[in-house]
Amino acid sequence: MMRRWALLALGVTLLAALPLVGDELIIQYGIDLLLLATLAQSWNILGGFAGYPSFGNSAFYGLGTYGTAIAMAQFHLPFSVGLALGVVLAVACAILIGVPILRLRGQYFAIATLGLAATLAALISNVDIAGRNIGLILPLTHNETMFYEDALALLVACTLTVWWISRSRFGMGLIAIREDEDAAQVMGVNTTFYKVLALALSAFFTAIAGGIHAYWITFIDPASAFDPTLNVRMVIMAVFGGPGTVFGPLVGSFLLTAVYEVLAASLSTAAALLFGLVIVLAVIFMPRGLWNLALGLRRVGWRYFMQNIQQHKL
Amino acid sequence: MSDAPVTPILEARGLTRRFHGLQAVSAVSFAIGHNEILGLIGPNGAGKTTLINLISGTLFADGGELFFAGNPIDRLPPARRAHLGIGRTFQVMKPFPHLSVIENVTVGALFGFGGGEHSMRIARERARDVLDFTGLLHRKDQYADQLGGPDRKRLELAKALALRPKLLLLDEVMAGLTLSEVDEVITIIKKIRQSGVAILVIEHVMRAIRSLSDRIIVLHHGEKIAEGLSDAVLTDPRVVEAYLGKRRA
Repeated sequence: MMRRWALLALGVTLLAALPLVGDELIIQYGIDLLLLATLAQSWNILGGFAGYPSFGNSAFYGLGTYGTAIAMAQFHLPFSVGLALGVVLAVACAILIGVPILRLRGQYFAIATLGLAATLAALISNVDIAGRNIGLILPLTHNETMFYEDALALLVACTLTVWWISRSRFGMGLIAIREDEDAAQVMGVNTTFYKVLALALSAFFTAIAGGIHAYWITFIDPASAFDPTLNVRMVIMAVFGGPGTVFGPLVGSFLLTAVYEVLAASLSTAAALLFGLVIVLAVIFMPRGLWNLALGLRRVGWRYFMQNIQQHKL
Repeated sequence: MSDAPVTPILEARGLTRRFHGLQAVSAVSFAIGHNEILGLIGPNGAGKTTLINLISGTLFADGGELFFAGNPIDRLPPARRAHLGIGRTFQVMKPFPHLSVIENVTVGALFGFGGGEHSMRIARERARDVLDFTGLLHRKDQYADQLGGPDRKRLELAKALALRPKLLLLDEVMAGLTLSEVDEVITIIKKIRQSGVAILVIEHVMRAIRSLSDRIIVLHHGEKIAEGLSDAVLTDPRVVEAYLGKRRA
Protein backbone atom coordinates (compact mmCIF):
# COMPACT_ATOMS: atom_id res chain seq x y z
CA MET A 1 0.00 0.00 0.00
CA MET A 2 2.73 2.47 1.04
CA ARG A 3 4.74 1.51 -2.03
CA ARG A 4 1.82 2.12 -4.32
CA TRP A 5 1.26 5.58 -2.86
CA ALA A 6 4.96 6.37 -3.17
CA LEU A 7 4.89 5.34 -6.83
CA LEU A 8 1.85 7.49 -7.51
CA ALA A 9 3.41 10.48 -5.76
CA LEU A 10 6.55 9.98 -7.83
CA GLY A 11 4.49 9.83 -11.02
CA VAL A 12 2.64 13.03 -10.21
CA THR A 13 5.92 14.78 -9.30
CA LEU A 14 7.47 13.73 -12.61
CA LEU A 15 4.42 14.98 -14.51
CA ALA A 16 4.55 18.25 -12.56
CA ALA A 17 8.23 18.66 -13.46
CA LEU A 18 7.61 18.18 -17.20
CA PRO A 19 7.50 21.93 -18.00
CA LEU A 20 11.09 22.23 -16.74
CA VAL A 21 12.36 20.04 -19.56
CA GLY A 22 9.68 19.79 -22.24
CA ASP A 23 9.34 22.23 -25.12
CA GLU A 24 6.21 24.30 -25.68
CA LEU A 25 4.56 21.81 -28.03
CA ILE A 26 4.88 18.97 -25.52
CA ILE A 27 3.39 21.18 -22.78
CA GLN A 28 0.47 22.03 -25.03
CA TYR A 29 -0.20 18.37 -25.76
CA GLY A 30 0.08 17.82 -22.02
CA ILE A 31 -2.55 20.44 -21.17
CA ASP A 32 -4.95 18.96 -23.71
CA LEU A 33 -4.36 15.44 -22.43
CA LEU A 34 -4.75 16.35 -18.75
CA LEU A 35 -8.00 18.21 -19.40
CA LEU A 36 -9.41 15.33 -21.47
CA ALA A 37 -8.46 12.85 -18.74
CA THR A 38 -10.25 15.06 -16.18
CA LEU A 39 -13.37 15.03 -18.35
CA ALA A 40 -13.27 11.23 -18.64
CA GLN A 41 -12.71 10.90 -14.89
CA SER A 42 -15.61 13.28 -14.10
CA TRP A 43 -17.90 11.37 -16.44
CA ASN A 44 -16.87 8.21 -14.59
CA ILE A 45 -18.47 9.41 -11.32
CA LEU A 46 -22.04 9.01 -12.56
CA GLY A 47 -21.48 7.01 -15.75
CA GLY A 48 -19.01 4.48 -14.36
CA PHE A 49 -20.05 4.08 -10.75
CA ALA A 50 -23.83 4.52 -10.99
CA GLY A 51 -24.15 3.23 -14.58
CA TYR A 52 -25.93 6.34 -15.84
CA PRO A 53 -24.28 7.34 -19.15
CA SER A 54 -24.56 11.13 -19.39
CA PHE A 55 -24.42 12.87 -22.75
CA GLY A 56 -25.02 16.18 -21.02
CA ASN A 57 -21.51 16.66 -19.66
CA SER A 58 -20.51 18.79 -22.64
CA ALA A 59 -23.23 21.19 -21.42
CA PHE A 60 -21.47 21.48 -18.04
CA TYR A 61 -18.19 21.96 -19.89
CA GLY A 62 -19.76 24.76 -21.94
CA LEU A 63 -21.18 26.45 -18.84
CA GLY A 64 -17.76 26.32 -17.17
CA THR A 65 -16.28 27.81 -20.33
CA TYR A 66 -18.83 30.61 -20.52
CA GLY A 67 -18.81 31.36 -16.79
CA THR A 68 -15.07 31.97 -16.95
CA ALA A 69 -15.25 33.86 -20.23
CA ILE A 70 -18.05 36.18 -19.15
CA ALA A 71 -16.40 37.00 -15.82
CA MET A 72 -13.01 37.69 -17.41
CA ALA A 73 -13.94 39.24 -20.76
CA GLN A 74 -16.98 41.27 -19.76
CA PHE A 75 -16.29 42.17 -16.10
CA HIS A 76 -12.48 41.99 -15.99
CA LEU A 77 -12.62 39.74 -12.95
CA PRO A 78 -9.74 37.42 -12.00
CA PHE A 79 -9.49 33.86 -13.35
CA SER A 80 -10.44 32.27 -10.02
CA VAL A 81 -13.71 34.24 -9.88
CA GLY A 82 -14.44 33.13 -13.43
CA LEU A 83 -13.91 29.48 -12.52
CA ALA A 84 -16.20 29.90 -9.51
CA LEU A 85 -18.93 31.43 -11.70
CA GLY A 86 -18.61 28.57 -14.19
CA VAL A 87 -18.85 26.00 -11.40
CA VAL A 88 -21.95 27.65 -9.92
CA LEU A 89 -23.68 27.70 -13.32
CA ALA A 90 -22.80 24.08 -14.11
CA VAL A 91 -23.68 22.64 -10.69
CA ALA A 92 -26.96 24.59 -10.64
CA CYS A 93 -27.76 23.22 -14.09
CA ALA A 94 -26.87 19.67 -12.99
CA ILE A 95 -29.21 19.85 -10.00
CA LEU A 96 -31.99 21.54 -11.95
CA ILE A 97 -32.05 18.99 -14.77
CA GLY A 98 -30.89 16.08 -12.61
CA VAL A 99 -33.89 16.08 -10.30
CA PRO A 100 -36.43 15.47 -13.09
CA ILE A 101 -34.42 13.38 -15.58
CA LEU A 102 -32.50 11.17 -13.15
CA ARG A 103 -35.83 9.49 -12.46
CA LEU A 104 -35.43 7.99 -15.92
CA ARG A 105 -33.41 4.83 -16.08
CA GLY A 106 -30.33 3.86 -18.09
CA GLN A 107 -30.70 4.47 -21.80
CA TYR A 108 -33.74 6.74 -21.36
CA PHE A 109 -31.61 9.00 -19.21
CA ALA A 110 -28.89 9.03 -21.88
CA ILE A 111 -31.40 10.10 -24.53
CA ALA A 112 -32.83 12.81 -22.29
CA THR A 113 -29.36 14.33 -21.81
CA LEU A 114 -28.55 14.29 -25.53
CA GLY A 115 -30.28 17.55 -26.33
CA LEU A 116 -29.00 19.52 -23.36
CA ALA A 117 -25.78 20.88 -24.88
CA ALA A 118 -27.48 21.88 -28.13
CA THR A 119 -30.25 23.65 -26.21
CA LEU A 120 -27.78 25.62 -24.12
CA ALA A 121 -25.71 26.52 -27.19
CA ALA A 122 -28.85 27.90 -28.84
CA LEU A 123 -29.76 29.86 -25.72
CA ILE A 124 -26.28 31.32 -25.27
CA SER A 125 -26.22 32.39 -28.93
CA ASN A 126 -28.97 34.86 -28.07
CA VAL A 127 -27.50 36.33 -24.92
CA ASP A 128 -25.73 39.68 -25.34
CA ILE A 129 -23.45 39.36 -22.36
CA ALA A 130 -22.20 36.01 -23.70
CA GLY A 131 -21.28 37.59 -27.04
CA ARG A 132 -24.19 35.98 -28.89
CA ASN A 133 -23.11 33.59 -31.66
CA ILE A 134 -19.87 35.52 -32.26
CA GLY A 135 -18.24 34.44 -29.01
CA LEU A 136 -15.92 36.07 -26.51
CA ILE A 137 -12.22 36.87 -26.40
CA LEU A 138 -10.44 36.39 -23.08
CA PRO A 139 -7.38 38.37 -21.95
CA LEU A 140 -4.22 36.82 -23.37
CA THR A 141 -1.81 35.18 -20.94
CA HIS A 142 1.20 33.50 -22.40
CA ASN A 143 2.00 31.20 -19.51
CA GLU A 144 1.73 27.60 -20.66
CA THR A 145 3.35 26.28 -17.50
CA MET A 146 0.58 27.76 -15.32
CA PHE A 147 -2.14 26.14 -17.45
CA TYR A 148 -0.29 22.85 -17.38
CA GLU A 149 0.07 22.85 -13.59
CA ASP A 150 -3.57 23.93 -13.12
CA ALA A 151 -4.77 21.09 -15.35
CA LEU A 152 -2.57 18.59 -13.51
CA ALA A 153 -3.82 19.77 -10.10
CA LEU A 154 -7.41 19.45 -11.31
CA LEU A 155 -6.86 15.90 -12.58
CA VAL A 156 -5.23 14.91 -9.28
CA ALA A 157 -8.10 16.43 -7.26
CA CYS A 158 -10.70 14.71 -9.45
CA THR A 159 -8.93 11.35 -9.21
CA LEU A 160 -8.56 11.63 -5.42
CA THR A 161 -12.30 12.33 -5.23
CA VAL A 162 -13.04 9.25 -7.33
CA TRP A 163 -10.66 7.21 -5.17
CA TRP A 164 -12.55 8.36 -2.06
CA ILE A 165 -15.87 7.51 -3.74
CA SER A 166 -14.63 4.02 -4.63
CA ARG A 167 -14.21 3.12 -0.96
CA SER A 168 -16.95 5.17 0.68
CA ARG A 169 -20.55 4.56 1.67
CA PHE A 170 -21.56 7.06 -1.04
CA GLY A 171 -19.73 4.97 -3.64
CA MET A 172 -21.34 1.74 -2.43
CA GLY A 173 -24.72 3.42 -2.92
CA LEU A 174 -23.83 4.41 -6.50
CA ILE A 175 -22.53 0.93 -7.31
CA ALA A 176 -25.68 -0.66 -5.86
CA ILE A 177 -27.73 1.60 -8.15
CA ARG A 178 -25.69 0.44 -11.16
CA GLU A 179 -25.97 -3.23 -10.23
CA ASP A 180 -29.72 -3.25 -9.53
CA GLU A 181 -31.64 -0.10 -8.81
CA ASP A 182 -34.81 -1.79 -7.50
CA ALA A 183 -32.80 -3.82 -5.00
CA ALA A 184 -30.79 -0.74 -4.00
CA GLN A 185 -33.98 1.19 -3.24
CA VAL A 186 -35.58 -1.41 -1.00
CA MET A 187 -32.27 -1.79 0.85
CA GLY A 188 -32.49 1.88 1.81
CA VAL A 189 -30.41 3.70 -0.83
CA ASN A 190 -31.98 7.11 -1.52
CA THR A 191 -31.38 6.63 -5.22
CA THR A 192 -32.53 9.99 -6.61
CA PHE A 193 -30.45 11.96 -4.11
CA TYR A 194 -27.35 9.85 -4.78
CA LYS A 195 -27.64 10.18 -8.54
CA VAL A 196 -28.17 13.95 -8.40
CA LEU A 197 -25.18 14.33 -6.07
CA ALA A 198 -23.03 12.27 -8.45
CA LEU A 199 -24.13 14.38 -11.43
CA ALA A 200 -23.38 17.60 -9.50
CA LEU A 201 -19.87 16.37 -8.59
CA SER A 202 -19.32 15.40 -12.20
CA ALA A 203 -20.47 18.88 -13.33
CA PHE A 204 -18.14 20.53 -10.79
CA PHE A 205 -14.92 19.06 -12.21
CA THR A 206 -16.13 19.26 -15.82
CA ALA A 207 -16.84 22.99 -15.47
CA ILE A 208 -13.39 23.75 -14.06
CA ALA A 209 -11.81 21.89 -16.97
CA GLY A 210 -13.93 24.02 -19.33
CA GLY A 211 -12.82 27.20 -17.57
CA ILE A 212 -9.13 26.36 -17.76
CA HIS A 213 -9.49 25.48 -21.43
CA ALA A 214 -11.28 28.78 -22.19
CA TYR A 215 -8.58 30.91 -20.57
CA TRP A 216 -5.87 28.89 -22.29
CA ILE A 217 -7.42 29.05 -25.79
CA THR A 218 -8.58 32.70 -25.20
CA PHE A 219 -11.38 32.51 -27.75
CA ILE A 220 -14.69 30.73 -27.31
CA ASP A 221 -17.95 30.50 -29.21
CA PRO A 222 -21.12 28.41 -28.68
CA ALA A 223 -20.14 25.74 -31.21
CA SER A 224 -16.76 24.98 -29.61
CA ALA A 225 -17.90 25.35 -25.99
CA PHE A 226 -20.88 23.00 -26.36
CA ASP A 227 -19.25 20.54 -28.76
CA PRO A 228 -21.16 17.23 -28.56
CA THR A 229 -18.22 15.22 -29.93
CA LEU A 230 -16.30 16.15 -26.80
CA ASN A 231 -18.89 14.24 -24.77
CA VAL A 232 -18.48 11.22 -27.02
CA ARG A 233 -14.73 11.32 -26.37
CA MET A 234 -15.29 11.38 -22.60
CA VAL A 235 -17.48 8.28 -22.84
CA ILE A 236 -15.10 6.41 -25.13
CA MET A 237 -12.05 7.13 -22.98
CA ALA A 238 -13.73 6.20 -19.71
CA VAL A 239 -15.36 3.06 -21.10
CA PHE A 240 -12.20 1.97 -22.94
CA GLY A 241 -10.09 2.30 -19.79
CA GLY A 242 -12.56 0.83 -17.34
CA PRO A 243 -15.73 2.51 -16.10
CA GLY A 244 -16.34 2.41 -12.36
CA THR A 245 -12.62 2.09 -11.55
CA VAL A 246 -10.23 4.74 -10.20
CA PHE A 247 -7.46 4.47 -12.78
CA GLY A 248 -9.27 3.02 -15.81
CA PRO A 249 -10.42 6.38 -17.22
CA LEU A 250 -6.87 7.78 -16.84
CA VAL A 251 -5.29 4.85 -18.66
CA GLY A 252 -8.02 5.06 -21.32
CA SER A 253 -7.58 8.75 -22.01
CA PHE A 254 -3.75 8.66 -21.99
CA LEU A 255 -3.65 5.68 -24.32
CA LEU A 256 -6.41 6.72 -26.74
CA THR A 257 -5.20 10.32 -27.01
CA ALA A 258 -1.66 9.09 -27.76
CA VAL A 259 -2.93 6.61 -30.36
CA TYR A 260 -5.06 9.31 -31.94
CA GLU A 261 -2.17 11.78 -32.17
CA VAL A 262 0.12 9.20 -33.73
CA LEU A 263 -2.52 8.11 -36.24
CA ALA A 264 -3.43 11.71 -37.08
CA ALA A 265 0.23 12.55 -37.69
CA SER A 266 0.94 9.57 -39.96
CA LEU A 267 -2.38 8.95 -41.70
CA SER A 268 -4.28 12.25 -41.41
CA THR A 269 -7.91 11.68 -42.46
CA ALA A 270 -7.86 7.89 -42.12
CA ALA A 271 -7.09 8.32 -38.43
CA ALA A 272 -10.69 8.70 -37.37
CA LEU A 273 -11.58 5.53 -39.25
CA LEU A 274 -8.91 3.44 -37.53
CA PHE A 275 -9.85 5.02 -34.23
CA GLY A 276 -13.39 3.79 -34.76
CA LEU A 277 -12.10 0.29 -35.51
CA VAL A 278 -10.18 0.25 -32.23
CA ILE A 279 -13.37 1.15 -30.35
CA VAL A 280 -15.44 -1.54 -32.07
CA LEU A 281 -12.85 -4.23 -31.29
CA ALA A 282 -12.57 -3.00 -27.71
CA VAL A 283 -16.31 -3.17 -27.12
CA ILE A 284 -16.44 -6.73 -28.49
CA PHE A 285 -13.39 -8.15 -26.72
CA MET A 286 -13.22 -6.12 -23.51
CA PRO A 287 -16.60 -4.49 -22.87
CA ARG A 288 -15.69 -3.63 -19.30
CA GLY A 289 -12.49 -1.82 -20.18
CA LEU A 290 -8.73 -2.25 -19.99
CA TRP A 291 -8.71 -2.39 -16.21
CA ASN A 292 -11.08 -5.36 -16.20
CA LEU A 293 -9.08 -6.92 -19.04
CA ALA A 294 -5.93 -6.85 -16.90
CA LEU A 295 -7.74 -8.47 -13.97
CA GLY A 296 -9.42 -11.02 -16.24
CA LEU A 297 -6.22 -12.04 -18.02
CA ARG A 298 -4.55 -12.64 -14.69
CA ARG A 299 -7.47 -14.73 -13.45
CA VAL A 300 -8.48 -16.85 -16.43
CA GLY A 301 -5.93 -16.04 -19.16
CA TRP A 302 -7.06 -15.95 -22.78
CA ARG A 303 -10.42 -17.48 -21.90
CA TYR A 304 -11.33 -13.94 -20.80
CA PHE A 305 -12.00 -12.99 -24.45
CA MET A 306 -14.07 -16.10 -25.04
CA GLN A 307 -16.22 -15.33 -21.98
CA ASN A 308 -16.85 -11.81 -23.25
CA ILE A 309 -17.79 -13.00 -26.73
CA GLN A 310 -20.19 -15.54 -25.23
CA GLN A 311 -21.80 -12.79 -23.17
CA HIS A 312 -22.61 -10.87 -26.35
CA LYS A 313 -24.65 -13.91 -27.52
CA LEU A 314 -23.42 -13.31 -31.08
CA MET B 1 -50.31 0.13 30.30
CA SER B 2 -50.49 -3.60 29.85
CA ASP B 3 -54.07 -3.64 28.62
CA ALA B 4 -53.62 -0.83 26.09
CA PRO B 5 -54.53 -2.02 22.57
CA VAL B 6 -51.43 -3.10 20.67
CA THR B 7 -50.99 -1.42 17.28
CA PRO B 8 -50.06 -3.98 14.62
CA ILE B 9 -46.64 -3.60 12.97
CA LEU B 10 -48.38 -3.33 9.60
CA GLU B 11 -51.97 -2.58 8.74
CA ALA B 12 -53.48 -2.36 5.25
CA ARG B 13 -56.94 -0.88 4.70
CA GLY B 14 -58.61 -1.32 1.34
CA LEU B 15 -55.31 -1.52 -0.55
CA THR B 16 -55.88 -1.34 -4.32
CA ARG B 17 -53.70 -1.40 -7.41
CA ARG B 18 -54.77 -1.53 -11.04
CA PHE B 19 -52.65 -2.27 -14.11
CA HIS B 20 -54.62 -0.60 -16.90
CA GLY B 21 -57.89 -2.54 -16.78
CA LEU B 22 -56.68 -5.32 -14.50
CA GLN B 23 -57.37 -5.16 -10.76
CA ALA B 24 -54.16 -6.75 -9.49
CA VAL B 25 -55.00 -6.03 -5.86
CA SER B 26 -58.47 -4.86 -4.95
CA ALA B 27 -59.53 -3.50 -1.57
CA VAL B 28 -57.36 -5.84 0.49
CA SER B 29 -57.31 -5.26 4.26
CA PHE B 30 -55.25 -7.15 6.80
CA ALA B 31 -52.85 -6.65 9.70
CA ILE B 32 -49.64 -8.26 10.85
CA GLY B 33 -48.93 -8.34 14.59
CA HIS B 34 -45.53 -7.85 16.19
CA ASN B 35 -43.57 -11.07 16.04
CA GLU B 36 -46.21 -12.75 13.88
CA ILE B 37 -45.64 -14.88 10.80
CA LEU B 38 -48.43 -14.34 8.30
CA GLY B 39 -48.66 -16.70 5.33
CA LEU B 40 -49.86 -15.26 2.01
CA ILE B 41 -51.05 -17.81 -0.53
CA GLY B 42 -53.06 -17.88 -3.71
CA PRO B 43 -52.88 -19.24 -7.26
CA ASN B 44 -50.52 -17.73 -9.85
CA GLY B 45 -51.56 -14.23 -10.81
CA ALA B 46 -53.55 -13.72 -7.61
CA GLY B 47 -51.69 -10.48 -6.79
CA LYS B 48 -49.35 -11.74 -4.05
CA THR B 49 -46.17 -10.18 -5.42
CA THR B 50 -48.04 -6.97 -6.25
CA LEU B 51 -49.12 -6.80 -2.61
CA ILE B 52 -45.50 -7.09 -1.45
CA ASN B 53 -44.49 -4.44 -3.99
CA LEU B 54 -47.12 -2.11 -2.50
CA ILE B 55 -45.84 -2.67 1.05
CA SER B 56 -42.15 -2.22 0.17
CA GLY B 57 -42.90 0.84 -1.98
CA THR B 58 -41.59 -0.68 -5.22
CA LEU B 59 -45.10 0.15 -6.49
CA PHE B 60 -47.50 2.80 -5.22
CA ALA B 61 -51.11 1.96 -4.44
CA ASP B 62 -54.00 3.50 -6.40
CA GLY B 63 -56.19 3.45 -3.30
CA GLY B 64 -56.35 2.43 0.31
CA GLU B 65 -54.14 3.11 3.28
CA LEU B 66 -51.01 1.53 4.71
CA PHE B 67 -49.78 1.98 8.28
CA PHE B 68 -46.47 0.90 9.74
CA ALA B 69 -46.49 0.79 13.56
CA GLY B 70 -49.49 3.14 13.41
CA ASN B 71 -47.94 5.71 11.03
CA PRO B 72 -49.13 6.20 7.44
CA ILE B 73 -46.49 5.15 4.88
CA ASP B 74 -48.49 5.16 1.61
CA ARG B 75 -46.59 8.09 0.12
CA LEU B 76 -43.10 7.20 1.35
CA PRO B 77 -40.50 6.15 -1.25
CA PRO B 78 -39.03 2.64 -0.88
CA ALA B 79 -35.77 3.84 0.72
CA ARG B 80 -37.67 5.60 3.53
CA ARG B 81 -39.67 2.45 4.18
CA ALA B 82 -36.41 0.50 4.43
CA HIS B 83 -35.19 3.04 7.00
CA LEU B 84 -38.33 2.34 9.04
CA GLY B 85 -37.47 -1.35 9.00
CA ILE B 86 -39.30 -2.93 6.07
CA GLY B 87 -37.08 -5.48 4.32
CA ARG B 88 -37.97 -7.68 1.38
CA THR B 89 -36.73 -10.31 -1.03
CA PHE B 90 -37.60 -10.50 -4.72
CA GLN B 91 -39.17 -13.56 -6.29
CA VAL B 92 -37.08 -12.88 -9.40
CA MET B 93 -33.87 -12.54 -7.43
CA LYS B 94 -31.99 -9.28 -7.64
CA PRO B 95 -28.40 -9.78 -6.55
CA PHE B 96 -25.75 -7.15 -7.35
CA PRO B 97 -24.08 -9.45 -9.92
CA HIS B 98 -20.58 -7.95 -10.11
CA LEU B 99 -20.13 -7.52 -6.35
CA SER B 100 -18.88 -10.18 -3.96
CA VAL B 101 -21.35 -11.87 -1.65
CA ILE B 102 -20.17 -9.90 1.37
CA GLU B 103 -20.36 -6.60 -0.55
CA ASN B 104 -23.93 -7.43 -1.57
CA VAL B 105 -24.90 -7.84 2.05
CA THR B 106 -22.87 -4.85 3.25
CA VAL B 107 -25.14 -2.56 1.20
CA GLY B 108 -28.06 -3.55 3.43
CA ALA B 109 -26.07 -2.82 6.58
CA LEU B 110 -24.87 0.54 5.20
CA PHE B 111 -28.27 1.89 4.23
CA GLY B 112 -30.96 -0.05 6.09
CA PHE B 113 -32.88 0.49 9.31
CA GLY B 114 -32.53 4.00 10.73
CA GLY B 115 -30.62 5.09 7.61
CA GLY B 116 -27.94 2.44 8.13
CA GLU B 117 -24.48 2.16 9.58
CA HIS B 118 -22.13 4.92 8.42
CA SER B 119 -18.86 3.15 9.11
CA MET B 120 -17.79 0.80 6.31
CA ARG B 121 -15.87 -1.33 8.80
CA ILE B 122 -18.80 -1.90 11.16
CA ALA B 123 -21.19 -2.49 8.23
CA ARG B 124 -18.85 -5.16 6.91
CA GLU B 125 -18.66 -6.85 10.31
CA ARG B 126 -22.43 -6.90 10.46
CA ALA B 127 -22.62 -8.34 6.95
CA ARG B 128 -20.26 -11.08 8.14
CA ASP B 129 -22.59 -11.94 11.01
CA VAL B 130 -25.57 -12.13 8.65
CA LEU B 131 -23.64 -14.40 6.27
CA ASP B 132 -22.73 -16.63 9.18
CA PHE B 133 -26.40 -16.77 10.22
CA THR B 134 -27.62 -17.66 6.71
CA GLY B 135 -24.87 -20.20 6.04
CA LEU B 136 -23.11 -18.23 3.31
CA LEU B 137 -19.90 -17.27 5.08
CA HIS B 138 -17.79 -19.76 3.09
CA ARG B 139 -18.93 -18.01 -0.12
CA LYS B 140 -18.30 -14.45 1.03
CA ASP B 141 -15.63 -13.57 -1.55
CA GLN B 142 -17.38 -15.08 -4.57
CA TYR B 143 -19.12 -12.87 -7.08
CA ALA B 144 -22.89 -12.99 -6.76
CA ASP B 145 -23.34 -14.05 -10.39
CA GLN B 146 -21.20 -17.13 -9.76
CA LEU B 147 -23.52 -18.54 -7.08
CA GLY B 148 -25.77 -21.54 -7.71
CA GLY B 149 -29.56 -21.42 -7.26
CA PRO B 150 -29.87 -22.29 -3.55
CA ASP B 151 -27.06 -19.93 -2.54
CA ARG B 152 -28.68 -17.16 -4.55
CA LYS B 153 -31.84 -17.66 -2.52
CA ARG B 154 -29.80 -17.46 0.68
CA LEU B 155 -28.11 -14.29 -0.57
CA GLU B 156 -31.48 -12.72 -1.31
CA LEU B 157 -32.52 -13.44 2.27
CA ALA B 158 -29.19 -12.24 3.70
CA LYS B 159 -29.43 -8.90 1.85
CA ALA B 160 -32.86 -8.26 3.36
CA LEU B 161 -31.74 -9.30 6.83
CA ALA B 162 -28.68 -7.04 6.78
CA LEU B 163 -30.86 -3.96 6.89
CA ARG B 164 -32.17 -5.04 10.32
CA PRO B 165 -35.85 -5.27 9.41
CA LYS B 166 -38.75 -5.06 11.86
CA LEU B 167 -40.97 -6.52 9.14
CA LEU B 168 -39.62 -8.95 6.59
CA LEU B 169 -41.45 -9.67 3.31
CA LEU B 170 -40.39 -13.00 1.80
CA ASP B 171 -41.45 -13.64 -1.80
CA GLU B 172 -41.01 -17.36 -2.52
CA VAL B 173 -37.58 -17.83 -0.97
CA MET B 174 -38.03 -21.60 -1.05
CA ALA B 175 -39.05 -22.07 -4.69
CA GLY B 176 -36.76 -24.56 -6.40
CA LEU B 177 -35.05 -25.80 -3.24
CA THR B 178 -34.72 -29.46 -2.29
CA LEU B 179 -36.60 -30.82 0.72
CA SER B 180 -33.61 -30.62 3.04
CA GLU B 181 -32.84 -27.08 1.83
CA VAL B 182 -36.45 -26.11 2.52
CA ASP B 183 -36.07 -27.42 6.08
CA GLU B 184 -32.92 -25.34 6.52
CA VAL B 185 -34.69 -22.19 5.39
CA ILE B 186 -37.66 -22.94 7.66
CA THR B 187 -35.26 -23.16 10.60
CA ILE B 188 -33.65 -19.86 9.62
CA ILE B 189 -37.02 -18.11 9.30
CA LYS B 190 -38.10 -19.39 12.73
CA LYS B 191 -34.87 -18.04 14.21
CA ILE B 192 -35.47 -14.66 12.57
CA ARG B 193 -38.91 -14.49 14.18
CA GLN B 194 -37.44 -15.35 17.57
CA SER B 195 -35.20 -12.30 17.25
CA GLY B 196 -38.37 -10.15 17.21
CA VAL B 197 -39.15 -9.71 13.51
CA ALA B 198 -42.64 -9.92 12.00
CA ILE B 199 -42.72 -11.82 8.70
CA LEU B 200 -45.01 -11.99 5.69
CA VAL B 201 -44.33 -15.19 3.70
CA ILE B 202 -45.45 -15.91 0.15
CA GLU B 203 -44.88 -19.56 -0.55
CA HIS B 204 -46.17 -22.37 -2.75
CA VAL B 205 -44.44 -25.03 -0.65
CA MET B 206 -47.42 -25.96 1.53
CA ARG B 207 -45.34 -27.84 4.06
CA ALA B 208 -43.42 -24.65 4.74
CA ILE B 209 -46.52 -22.47 4.97
CA ARG B 210 -48.16 -24.91 7.36
CA SER B 211 -45.17 -25.18 9.66
CA LEU B 212 -44.35 -21.46 9.69
CA SER B 213 -47.55 -19.45 9.62
CA ASP B 214 -49.48 -18.32 12.68
CA ARG B 215 -52.25 -17.19 10.35
CA ILE B 216 -52.83 -17.32 6.61
CA ILE B 217 -54.55 -14.99 4.17
CA VAL B 218 -55.58 -16.13 0.70
CA LEU B 219 -55.68 -13.94 -2.41
CA HIS B 220 -57.61 -14.84 -5.55
CA HIS B 221 -57.96 -12.49 -8.54
CA GLY B 222 -56.64 -9.70 -6.33
CA GLU B 223 -59.24 -10.15 -3.61
CA LYS B 224 -58.81 -11.57 -0.14
CA ILE B 225 -61.05 -14.64 -0.05
CA ALA B 226 -60.04 -16.15 3.30
CA GLU B 227 -58.16 -15.36 6.47
CA GLY B 228 -57.56 -17.33 9.64
CA LEU B 229 -55.60 -20.06 11.34
CA SER B 230 -53.65 -22.34 8.99
CA ASP B 231 -55.66 -25.56 9.22
CA ALA B 232 -59.02 -23.84 8.96
CA VAL B 233 -57.98 -21.81 5.92
CA LEU B 234 -56.33 -24.67 4.04
CA THR B 235 -59.48 -26.81 4.27
CA ASP B 236 -61.86 -23.93 3.45
CA PRO B 237 -63.86 -25.01 0.34
CA ARG B 238 -63.44 -21.60 -1.32
CA VAL B 239 -59.66 -21.87 -0.99
CA VAL B 240 -59.63 -25.43 -2.31
CA GLU B 241 -61.77 -24.28 -5.22
CA ALA B 242 -59.48 -21.35 -6.02
CA TYR B 243 -56.51 -23.68 -6.19
CA LEU B 244 -58.05 -26.75 -7.81
CA GLY B 245 -61.07 -25.37 -9.62
CA LYS B 246 -64.72 -26.21 -8.97
CA ARG B 247 -65.44 -29.87 -8.36
CA ARG B 248 -67.82 -31.17 -11.00
CA ALA B 249 -70.68 -33.23 -9.69
